[in-house]
Amino acid sequence: MTSLASPIITSRRPGWVVETLPFDTVPKMFWQRVDELGSAIMMRQKDLGLWRAYSWADVGLIVSEIGAGLVSLGFAPGQVASVLANTCREWVWADLAVQSMGGVCNGIYPTDAASQVEYLCVDSSSVFLFVEDDEQLDKYLENRDRLPLVQRVIVFDMEGLHKLDDPAVISLDALRALGRTYLKLQPQLVQQRLGTRGPADVAVLVYTSGTTGRPKGAMITHSNICSSLAAGSSSLFEGLPMGGERVAFLPLCHIAERMVGEYVSILRKSTINFVENPETVFENLREVQPVVFFAVPRVWEKVYSTVAITIREAGKLQQLAYAWAVGEGAALVKLTEAGQAPGALQRLRYWLARKLVINNVRRMVGLDRVQLALTGAAPISPALIRWYQAIGVPLREGWGMTETTGGGTITPIGAGKPGSIGVPGPGVEMRISEQGEILMRGGSVFSGYLNLPEKTAEAIDADGWLHTGDVGRVDADGYFYITDRMKDIIITAGGKNVTPSEWENQLKFSPYVTDAVVIGDKRAYLSCLVMIDEDNVAQWAQHRDVQFSDFKSLCRAPEVVNLIGEQIDKVNKEFARVEQIKQFRLIEQRLTAEDEELTPTMKLKRSLVNRKYAELIEGMYSAKAA
Amino acid sequence: MSDDILLSLANVESSYGPIKAIRGVSLKVRKGEIATVLGSNGAGKSTILKTISGVLDPTRGTVMFKGADITGHDPAEIVRGGLAHVPEGREVFPLLSVHDNLLMGAYTRSDKDGVARDIEQVYTYFPILRERERQDAGLLSGGQQQMLSISRALMARPELILLDEPSLGLSPKLTKEIFEIVVRINRERGTTILLVEQNANMALNAADYGYVLENGRIVMEDRCEVLREKDDIREFYLGMKDTGVRGERRWKKKKTWR
Repeated sequence: MTSLASPIITSRRPGWVVETLPFDTVPKMFWQRVDELGSAIMMRQKDLGLWRAYSWADVGLIVSEIGAGLVSLGFAPGQVASVLANTCREWVWADLAVQSMGGVCNGIYPTDAASQVEYLCVDSSSVFLFVEDDEQLDKYLENRDRLPLVQRVIVFDMEGLHKLDDPAVISLDALRALGRTYLKLQPQLVQQRLGTRGPADVAVLVYTSGTTGRPKGAMITHSNICSSLAAGSSSLFEGLPMGGERVAFLPLCHIAERMVGEYVSILRKSTINFVENPETVFENLREVQPVVFFAVPRVWEKVYSTVAITIREAGKLQQLAYAWAVGEGAALVKLTEAGQAPGALQRLRYWLARKLVINNVRRMVGLDRVQLALTGAAPISPALIRWYQAIGVPLREGWGMTETTGGGTITPIGAGKPGSIGVPGPGVEMRISEQGEILMRGGSVFSGYLNLPEKTAEAIDADGWLHTGDVGRVDADGYFYITDRMKDIIITAGGKNVTPSEWENQLKFSPYVTDAVVIGDKRAYLSCLVMIDEDNVAQWAQHRDVQFSDFKSLCRAPEVVNLIGEQIDKVNKEFARVEQIKQFRLIEQRLTAEDEELTPTMKLKRSLVNRKYAELIEGMYSAKAA
Repeated sequence: MSDDILLSLANVESSYGPIKAIRGVSLKVRKGEIATVLGSNGAGKSTILKTISGVLDPTRGTVMFKGADITGHDPAEIVRGGLAHVPEGREVFPLLSVHDNLLMGAYTRSDKDGVARDIEQVYTYFPILRERERQDAGLLSGGQQQMLSISRALMARPELILLDEPSLGLSPKLTKEIFEIVVRINRERGTTILLVEQNANMALNAADYGYVLENGRIVMEDRCEVLREKDDIREFYLGMKDTGVRGERRWKKKKTWR
């Protein structure tokens, strides 16, 4: 077998440098910003319909009170506190307070079931648990007997709990009151505790979603985060000004929003706007019109399909105007990709398209002021990136993972290659291994999995290379491309290696498909399970008078099955015969983030789907139904 | 199979001006059964009935009754075809006597003897109406008006009755009585009934087959005894939920409709 290995690739882009940061831990960065920025606004959250603002000084005071409250209850440096909440201001306060007191902060997904919450608290040895509200509190109460380490549970929102009299439960306000008293006795507490931590200490625990087996707690040190931040400023922002509005809504327990939403915002002196709840993301986006917007592909897909559907229902004139304007944009994008400069007339036409049409679209979706648009955490279709560029949203793709503290590669401004995840950021080394796996080395590579030295050794080899588990290649310009996850590669009964996600991503570009899982390991041919996009398929069916009532009947309508079949055939044409899908089935259950089949970022879990739908899968292989 | 389907809606959409109240509803009512559509305020339940009976013309889709397309037909013609609508809020003629109200229900009929026999029969269902025979309908209590309005629909000798929220504004005891009669009418006369209700408990006990409507779309359908056992129905429609570890649970689970 020929070796797939590449030489070591590092950042070659001019201006991409590792900054020297005047702090070496996360809390020190925060407190430095509090001193510098004082009364400027750090964050906003909507309360009963009004955006409520908190200055850096306000947050500093709150954080010191929460921290002192924890210490008064016995919190010691190096201990772990967990946060179980949706993305909100209190999440960030708790994180900063825990770290300011020398502790380690661990995030738990609010969609996790009680048993998972129990496992994560036990595995991380959490001594405090912050919960959002009564719903999340109940997850603790259900399993409290098995959580003897947890000394106190702090509740952000006490609505419905005022009658609760439980010595283990305290409200955030009560904790702050304890902290205020404690601070009078120990006014130097924050300074003292900041000194207890150095760069090598663990700052946060991030549990990887664990598509196979139990989740693993990645230990991320202050130095890991600072390395990632030091590299991010120049490569991510490429000369954009500091400050500006941001919208935060992805789960903060995920490394991406924790870094980009919280720590990068602190570094870049931005204002964080928290959405009211996960359902109001698009409405809040319109209100805030952020300068920086980071989202996962699913959100970018949703914004696009909102526009596409609005246009479909608009008048003839609007439809023509939209097609013309986006066509002008697309032509410009094509030219840029080919490395050519557009002529004056073409620039004028695009300027007109922007003025007359596109700016309205941008305002409607809330992206009119966006300077940095970023996607990551999952693969995205190149066609979608081109559409955003056509409407003047410079959408860039970043690649990173929990184990790299979010750092890795990013597509440079104006020099992206669709389909590529970009070039390595400053300060990291990357290469392709003999087996074709992408390896990475650098300061942002995590320090190991909690309590799992053998798993750590599997991930980081003796030379310090992190084995990312992604299979890919690198081109002559140093751009990386991902073909698949190493463990997802399918070897068919015929001995052919197939990378399923390439095929799946092509199918996901269809507006009627949300997600798909290709099956075929040790099988004669490939098949797949498809999760349809309910909104779009329902609208399609209604438009064509296809009768359906509930979700199951929608999935069973022969016309819908045919529609998905057509989408699959279309994708099949782009692949070689052995890589084509011969059979498929629709998942007839509507899945939500609470379901075990989906990761919190709403991706289907391959191994679990394989197990759970075994019967459905067998059905595609048993009968000669083809 | 299709023979015993009395009424079917296919992809029906109806709007009030620019507001779409039902966004593509397909449902079937089999001959001789009681079917029910459950849903909260504003889900579009009454709109479905109004669309069937021709009060409202759908912007899309078809309504089939006894194998014929009745989409957008004149309401009077639909009544003659054997489909009566008992509107929400009773809507009796307040200044006409009970007896005259019943005669209004028989307006489309010409067999005087038959009408007299039917009046006798509805009086056996609702004896109180016989006592109030000569009174103005406006002087009846809410429950009595509801009885009258159901009786008036029966006077057209319909094969299918559309019943819009018979429990509205009635005491639990009266509601129970009315539902008992509704079931009795169905069993004794073989009249098919499409019932729309907010009182899910009552409706699920009385009906054979149920649809759940949310935001103008059907999210779930099944036989009522199956629906009664579904988690979402128990929590959101029947108000039964486990109280959790604290003995009181305020937060709501997400609806999944499965």
